[in-house]
Amino acid sequence: MLAKLSFAFLLLVTLPAQAAALMGFKDSAMFMSEFSKDRKELMLNYSPAVGHAFGVETMWMRGEKHTNLITNINYTGLIKRWNMPSGQANLWFMTGIGEASGDSSGFSYSPSVQFDYETTRLYFLAKARMVRAPHIQYDTYSVQGGFSFYETSFEQTQPWFVLEARTTEGMAMRNEITPALRLINQHYFLELGVTNPWDSESRTPRLNVMLTF
Amino acid sequence: MKKLFVIAVLAIFTNTAFAATSIHAEVKGMVCAFCAKGINKKLREVEATQDVWVDLKNRMVVVELKDQKTMSLEAFTKLIKDAGYDVASAEYINKSLVEIKADHTHMKEVK
Repeated sequence: MLAKLSFAFLLLVTLPAQAAALMGFKDSAMFMSEFSKDRKELMLNYSPAVGHAFGVETMWMRGEKHTNLITNINYTGLIKRWNMPSGQANLWFMTGIGEASGDSSGFSYSPSVQFDYETTRLYFLAKARMVRAPHIQYDTYSVQGGFSFYETSFEQTQPWFVLEARTTEGMAMRNEITPALRLINQHYFLELGVTNPWDSESRTPRLNVMLTF
Repeated sequence: MKKLFVIAVLAIFTNTAFAATSIHAEVKGMVCAFCAKGINKKLREVEATQDVWVDLKNRMVVVELKDQKTMSLEAFTKLIKDAGYDVASAEYINKSLVEIKADHTHMKEVK
């Protein structure tokens, strides 16, 4: 309860002040994925206009009581972008509706808000997401912070260190701390991390991949 | 004869106005290569574009134009906006992209 309140407080503090790319540029498609022990997510969206994207997502999640596959159609909207001389901040809204199947099934929905702020050397993100379906409540709160080891040119690959704290209601692994190495260049976004590296029972690798076309 | 004179004067001025070979711009919000890919891609799709240089460190975008081809600063600004960024300043420069890169390298060395 205290942890949940702390996350909520952190989100409240950071949301009004500050936003990461959840869609590509106009007329582009973006693929996003996350693979870990209890969670596998794939998302593909298309952006017909600046700040709007439509797509599909599928999430396999292993909870404390249920294991489900949720498939949604989704919308991502950019509520506000702040383009600054040396940084960018974004406030996003996302929502998905669809169907859950597995140990419990029925109508599913997954609204979320995200704020991120990034410079060429620093990165911050806060996100709150609800994932709901009959008998399913995988609500997630996460914060990420990171730094790049050095600045790079547009043609080079930039390495980042990113630390994420995430808590998810109803998941088999409720609290996750994930240090990760992130590699970004103009063609891909690749993140390799280890969740709860100090705990042999819950230690698990995580892979995030993003591509734009 | 008068007509010929007017045409000749217009030709001279038109040639001067479009003598610039590159657009040099400062772009706000451009912080990562993955996100700025759209700028590079969209500018390269324009027929008038000879070459593009995205300089993340200096938040700068340079487009070298093909001979006899033009791109208005308004069209350039709209393209950057469609990629999700804002143009802080943009101007024509009568230099090729190679020359502009060389200038920047020289400025870095001086610093």
